[in-house]
Amino acid sequence: MNNLTILVVDDDPVIRRLLEQRLIREQYEVLLAEDGHKGNDLLSTNHIDVVLTDLMMPGEIGGIEVLEFAKELERNIEVILITAHSSVDTAVEAMKKGASDYLQKPINFTELFLRLEKISTMRGLLRSAEDLRQAMDVTESTAAETIQNLEIIAGTLQDQVDSIENILTSDTMMIEDKISKSLNVILNWK
Amino acid sequence: MIKISPAELKTIAQYIQDISGIYLDQSKSYLFETRLSSIAEELGCSSYQELYNKAKKDPGKIIERQIIDAISTNETLFFRDNGPFELLKHKILPEIIDLRTPSSPRLKTNIKIWSAASSTGQELYSVAMTIRDLLGTQIDKFNFKLLGTDISDGAVKQASYGKYNKFEIERGLPRQTLQKHFTLFGGSWKVKDQLRGMVNFRKLNLMLPFTGLGKFDIILCRNVAIYFTLADRKKLFNKLADSLADDGFLIIGSTESLTGICPRFIPKRHLRAIFYQKKN
Repeated sequence: MNNLTILVVDDDPVIRRLLEQRLIREQYEVLLAEDGHKGNDLLSTNHIDVVLTDLMMPGEIGGIEVLEFAKELERNIEVILITAHSSVDTAVEAMKKGASDYLQKPINFTELFLRLEKISTMRGLLRSAEDLRQAMDVTESTAAETIQNLEIIAGTLQDQVDSIENILTSDTMMIEDKISKSLNVILNWK
Repeated sequence: MIKISPAELKTIAQYIQDISGIYLDQSKSYLFETRLSSIAEELGCSSYQELYNKAKKDPGKIIERQIIDAISTNETLFFRDNGPFELLKHKILPEIIDLRTPSSPRLKTNIKIWSAASSTGQELYSVAMTIRDLLGTQIDKFNFKLLGTDISDGAVKQASYGKYNKFEIERGLPRQTLQKHFTLFGGSWKVKDQLRGMVNFRKLNLMLPFTGLGKFDIILCRNVAIYFTLADRKKLFNKLADSLADDGFLIIGSTESLTGICPRFIPKRHLRAIFYQKKN
């Protein structure tokens, strides 16, 4: 089972059904939207890893708007645009806005699955890096607490040693005074 | 990947320590291989001995720089370990500001801060953001001079450019802070000019003398000495003590210790964090 949930946004029912069948066959979780409005609704209410959206759709919400909405919602979401050959320039513009990739129609499924696999691998790597980092943070903060406590104790002890050294090396004190003052330092340290 | 032989490990480990101070455990041969193999291959070397010979003979020291870039760890993020930044905000900056407030409002005093291993700049920019957020418009009363130094040319270059990709940005920076101090630039985020104008980055090898840097009010030297031998750590912190103002502050990594390393510093606690000051 693939671990990605994919939202397909396309106004063409044939392409929607085709994508749905092929993606489900590859064991992806699939959600479908027939326009940008529905797409944005689904984005707001579901956890989605990848958005596969047509660039040109009728209505006020096109592929670019879906991309912007998705990125605003969740910076880590991956958006792949489906474009007609004539709109490649717009697709390149969309890449600058954070789209991960674009596919030209007719959709080459081998290509699509390769890209999805890459996204899946990348997500897995990011996840393990994040896990490692969290484990490191926990270890680090526990170690930091111990080390910092020891550091303060060592500092205090060093101060004591310095004071006692001063007392013992004094030229003006009797040995009895030196001993009693040194003991005082040890016994009455704050 | 080219395999490293035991003899090469010894030569390369010593060479790296000589040029950077970084002490690498010779039992971790994979560390050398993963980090140096591609440089060796690119230069057409079939062994690490050959890479070493080439690096030693390279008059422009370009290979040496590539090796340093590959070997140095640039793991960093904005506001890495929140402790030091809370410490700066609530304790150190207010104290330094009190100490350095000029007698006449027409005078401007310098406040010098040094990030001694600034990597790709996130730490120093985090300090700059902390200062701006704390002082607001009062910032103009002082002349803040923030210096970041690092041994890696690549890191210094990225820090100076102040541009970060989404992965670097997403770690540690709340959205509000991001929008206040950065602008979207292509698919990346660029530090705004007002922040960029407060900082300077340059290359510096902490093993060499610190000439011409002067004295600093605050020094951050976090998680770099851990890569040095004990002897080099002692030398480093002794030099840092020379570079710190008598009433200045030193911040080291949260798991680092100066016990037995530099008796010139005494640890002080503020809430859950520790900083160091020089002994009188």
